[in-house]
Amino acid sequence: MAELEDVSMVDEKIEQVEEEEQEYDLDKIKLLPGSSDDGSAASFQIIDEDHTLGNALRYIIMKNPEVEFCGYSIPHPSENKLNIRIQTYGSITAVEALHQGLDNLTELCTVIEDKFSEKIEAGGYKTVETTNNI
Amino acid sequence: MASPQREGFTVPTSISHAALGQVTTKSLGVKYNCAQCASSFSLGKNDAIRCKDCGHRVIYKARTRRMVQFEAR
Amino acid sequence: MSDNIVGIEYNRVTNTSSTDFPGHSANGDFSWDIEKFKDSFDIQISYITERTANFDLVNIDTSIANAFRRVMIAEVPSVAAEAVYMFMNTSVIQDEVLAHRIGLIPLKVDPDLLNWVDKTLDENERYTEENTVVLSLDVVCTKNSHAPKNSTNPKELYKNAHIYAKDLKFEPQGGQAERFKIKPVAADPDILLAKLRPGQEISLRAHCILGIGSDHAKFSPVATASYRLMPVINITEPIRGDSAKRFQKCFPSGVIGINKNGEAYVKDARKDTVSREVLRHEEFNGKVKLGRKRDHFIFNVESTGAMSPEEIFFKSVRVLKNKAQYLRNCPIGQ
Repeated sequence: MAELEDVSMVDEKIEQVEEEEQEYDLDKIKLLPGSSDDGSAASFQIIDEDHTLGNALRYIIMKNPEVEFCGYSIPHPSENKLNIRIQTYGSITAVEALHQGLDNLTELCTVIEDKFSEKIEAGGYKTVETTNNI
Repeated sequence: MASPQREGFTVPTSISHAALGQVTTKSLGVKYNCAQCASSFSLGKNDAIRCKDCGHRVIYKARTRRMVQFEAR
Repeated sequence: MSDNIVGIEYNRVTNTSSTDFPGHSANGDFSWDIEKFKDSFDIQISYITERTANFDLVNIDTSIANAFRRVMIAEVPSVAAEAVYMFMNTSVIQDEVLAHRIGLIPLKVDPDLLNWVDKTLDENERYTEENTVVLSLDVVCTKNSHAPKNSTNPKELYKNAHIYAKDLKFEPQGGQAERFKIKPVAADPDILLAKLRPGQEISLRAHCILGIGSDHAKFSPVATASYRLMPVINITEPIRGDSAKRFQKCFPSGVIGINKNGEAYVKDARKDTVSREVLRHEEFNGKVKLGRKRDHFIFNVESTGAMSPEEIFFKSVRVLKNKAQYLRNCPIGQ
């Protein structure tokens, strides 16, 4: 019993250290009014993001077979806000769909990163500009 | 960064002169640059508006070395 | 035509939007699969020089490719002058205009060597040796006594008549001399900043900091970052003889070849500009179809000189990845 307590305390300490390393913005994303009671449909508002993340995220969430609908909008061009709407068929919640989408986007970037560095390391490409290739 | 003291202005060494209302800086005049020969000189209030080297009549007031900050935008 | 080709007709485009979503059609599973993506996705590098890169991203959606393009332009950080402290400027160019020009000079500084400036701090404490590079410009124009007779060239008549970006000198602060193995300088030395005449002087310090293109274009690491879709030319009926020669002339050189039977064939569609000239000629009506591959992006990245173009693309992928990871960990407020 005593051992178990010790372990949990160590865990807590590690968690504290991790939290100190990276602070997360509490206002970055919030739930907008208009979500269903079961959580299968919801809209989120993300601060300081634009079409760059909005459209990429919309695409990847739409690729999820559990998602019925996903769309995004920037309600006003001079406000740095991104609204994103997610509706699922009910087997997962909208929050889960969002998180899966973000995870998928992360792994997609990893694949591109690896592929690009692999191609750079492999070499074999030209190092002078060739015309008519714009 | 730069000293806030203006060029051409000297703080009175003893306050008594100022208190007596005496002019401490014996009117060194104002610094000018010649538009023709680029020489720099001072002119008093009764001096002719001419370059002291070449006699050219177009002269510019010299800019002070006071620092000015700008946003590079 | 295949479903991933945008049709380009005389006065319209067809089949423009992606349809690779689950539930869109009965045939094919379009749900996200990282392994499938890993297998199908490809990068083909045409060339990478010091300043420009040209490469293809194949089998990727527009939304992702466009995100990289947008990030390269607006969100990959680079270094530029932000505050200019003017001690003397008697040139004909006004202080604020000169400061603006200095801000726009691309600098060859590794952005990874600097920290971000905390804009909430007071102006006197904001700039430290960790986050700022100081450049100085101190020039006085004088007459050149050895100028050739009858010369009318200001460069011969005067010393320091033309002030260039290369005249900006790095002033190491604290331990910066060791930290910056490569001295920070202007990426292009011959950008004209001001012209002087004898007696005129410029003396200033510029504080250069990290920033991103969405804040100000001077922080953008690219001159251009763009993509185009791979052109597709489909000759549906044989074109021979003189007609083939006229057909060839409708395209940029090298796109259409003529084989030994005098028949036109597509030699290199990548070189095409998809000008649609061929569609204006009655004789080729119905014999050719133009299109573009919707998931084949030909990227062209032109660096301003601070980083290599491949590094800029690499960083853009990192930035997008960080965005997703960061948002994943943010608590969702009410």
